[in-house]
Amino acid sequence: MVFRRGQRVEVFQRSSDESWKSFMDEYIGRHGIVVDPDTSVNDPDALIEVSLEGKGTHRLPQDCLRVLED
Amino acid sequence: MPNPTCADQSCPVTDTISTLEETIESGRLTHPKTRRIAEEVHELLEDVAWGRAGEEHLPAIDSLAGELAEDSPIQAGIEAGKMVRSSLDQYREVFTSHVQTHNCPTGACVKLAPAPCQMACPSGIDVPTYVSLIGEGKDAEAIEVIRKDNPFPWVCGLVCTRPCEFMCVRGRIDKPISIKFLKAFAAERAMSERRYENPPKEPDKGRKVCIIGAGPGGMSCAYYLALKGYGVRIIEALPTAGGMILAGIPRYRLPREVIDREVAMLEDLGVEFVFSTRFGEDLALEDLKQEGFDAFFFAIGAHKAFKLNIPGETEYGLVESIDFLKRVALGERRRPGKRVVVIGGGNVAIDAARTSLRLGSVEAILAYRRTRAEMPADEEEVEQAEEEGIRFDFLTVPVEIVGENGKTTGLRCLRAELVAREGSKRMSPVPIEGSEFVIETDAVIGAIGQRVDKETMLELTELAWTRRNTIDVNMVSMETSEPGIFAAGDAVTGPATVVEAIGGGKRAAEGIDRFLKGIPQPKMPPVPVRRERVACTEVPASTKMILKRPEMPLLNLDRRRTTFQQVELGYSENAVREEARRCLRCDICRRCGECVEVCRDKMDVDALQMGYFDFDHPVETDFRKTQERCIACGACANNCPNQAMQIRDENGERVLSLCGTVLNRQKIIHCTECGAVMGPNRYLDYIQKRIKPVGDVVATDKMVCDACLRKKSATATVDIPSAK
Repeated sequence: MVFRRGQRVEVFQRSSDESWKSFMDEYIGRHGIVVDPDTSVNDPDALIEVSLEGKGTHRLPQDCLRVLED
Repeated sequence: MPNPTCADQSCPVTDTISTLEETIESGRLTHPKTRRIAEEVHELLEDVAWGRAGEEHLPAIDSLAGELAEDSPIQAGIEAGKMVRSSLDQYREVFTSHVQTHNCPTGACVKLAPAPCQMACPSGIDVPTYVSLIGEGKDAEAIEVIRKDNPFPWVCGLVCTRPCEFMCVRGRIDKPISIKFLKAFAAERAMSERRYENPPKEPDKGRKVCIIGAGPGGMSCAYYLALKGYGVRIIEALPTAGGMILAGIPRYRLPREVIDREVAMLEDLGVEFVFSTRFGEDLALEDLKQEGFDAFFFAIGAHKAFKLNIPGETEYGLVESIDFLKRVALGERRRPGKRVVVIGGGNVAIDAARTSLRLGSVEAILAYRRTRAEMPADEEEVEQAEEEGIRFDFLTVPVEIVGENGKTTGLRCLRAELVAREGSKRMSPVPIEGSEFVIETDAVIGAIGQRVDKETMLELTELAWTRRNTIDVNMVSMETSEPGIFAAGDAVTGPATVVEAIGGGKRAAEGIDRFLKGIPQPKMPPVPVRRERVACTEVPASTKMILKRPEMPLLNLDRRRTTFQQVELGYSENAVREEARRCLRCDICRRCGECVEVCRDKMDVDALQMGYFDFDHPVETDFRKTQERCIACGACANNCPNQAMQIRDENGERVLSLCGTVLNRQKIIHCTECGAVMGPNRYLDYIQKRIKPVGDVVATDKMVCDACLRKKSATATVDIPSAK
């Protein structure tokens, strides 16, 4: 699993995943905290739950996220 | 850096106000009537931004802007009218949301912005409001607020993954508010006092909706549809309600009675439950359509376990964790084996191991192929499992279930090491050659995840699925590719959280309501709604800093290893009320930093140590420091855009407070001549250092106000020193 619960992350790019919707474009550049990572199979393809500062909590594909700190 | 939500997001309402303001102030609206109408539109828009608008506001703005655009004799007036109209047309949903929900998710309309905890909640509960109500002992009122967004406060109070606490601003000072447990306390208390009540239903709409799945998503949707006046029937495959919260969460974490009581609230609303009926087997969509249901909502969960795909899995019988937990939830009490190995590292794996122990297994071992740091299970769950004696075998990759005469005797494993794959930072477990070993066991439980059972949905041939084998929906309205069919919960997200399913169910209820009314669906996901702006509880700064998040008392270890009694015993009432007082009320203080800047840069006092204002790099916060340096000038309060910082005179003292936290309290000095309020000593010292005294002649030990000093100096006919 790349992401862990409580990690601070940034949405740094659009994702090409089918789960990425156009309204999510405004999340790019936002910082947030991973609140529910892939809880079972450690799948890099799984959607993980992230709370974004000022933007609510969303399930996002992992390729649009990067860790801000460990 | 101040809170970015206050600074870098734009709101169509505030943008329109600013543009109109510029036009008015530019003096280009030279025609008197045009100017008056523009000012009226501006005033109405301000009402929208400050939560004062009613239903008649938007039509009035529309009409006045139209008057400007069409009838104004000057070009500037026409442009202003068109600008307002275009903004309204383009962002009507946002304007309407401001009026109807008193809510501005961008934070630009400062009074209407939800707090970070509320924004983080997938079901959008107004956390600061209910936490404050709990702090005041108003538990039933708190539950009423919670149930506007989440019909299961008791369930969530015990098992929520609490995204709110991760975003809790108090966590930047010490530890987040224990939001989850406060909710559980309030729900239990309200239920115990028989004050846990349903809100009134809307009149019957004469239409009915069928829901497949009595899990959190299905029941949440049912609750909100029932409140809107729809007839609701829930079809459930299991013999009782709860779905994954019943079948997947053991009773020692979530007692069955808690589910039963909250489900009973739905029955009181008239929701009809049909149990032991599996959609796709016992019942077809066509049957339901013929019965006259107008819409359908699928919340079938993700109950199908992934296979391990290792030799021996079929031959010696791998136990599927979710099936095992379900059987125990429904009454089975046989231990799965004497020495149980659970494969996996998530909450379900932990639950399976702890359940085995409670059923009498002598030993329960959890085999996980990565390290503890990568375990996705809740940290508290892991700790509690360790306390109970669960053994963890990390970096362990199962390769074969071994056995004799059809019975499991062991799990052959390889030791692994974490290696970074080429071109990736991701550490993957790689088996070490020659590290093979066998864990002796008579039962292997697989807990490596679940998926949606598509087979039951084969009848819906037009239903679109994602490549992850989940139902493809519009995440805003929860509509599927088949008209009139909606879906949410794990069937849409894959295995996710209870609160996400509840939020999805609520969104679907809104979507179904719009579908049945023939109203277009929204384009953006709904934003949380601020339900109230309750008064702040007054707390001294020292108390605010000293209060610590309470530890959760736990059941003793012997009982935890032998019974299914609830492990977390709940906070005492005193602990709950005190914990609620730690809340910073971020629904009111937006952490914009205006107060800090004016105190430090304009007044040169620097009395506000608010390190928590910064999301990315919080530094030390100490509310007690303010008392040491604050001169009680009130500049911070005057510059606070949201009345979070307040200064007032009471009982002979000047009191500065931030959302109820009393930062400074100083005795007020009165003029000894006329009795007028002069302010606290420290403030007077500050002023005196910066202005020249009126004159030595009238110098006195007495505290005299400027007016009296002037009178005295005039009487004494002395020369008043020049201002320079």
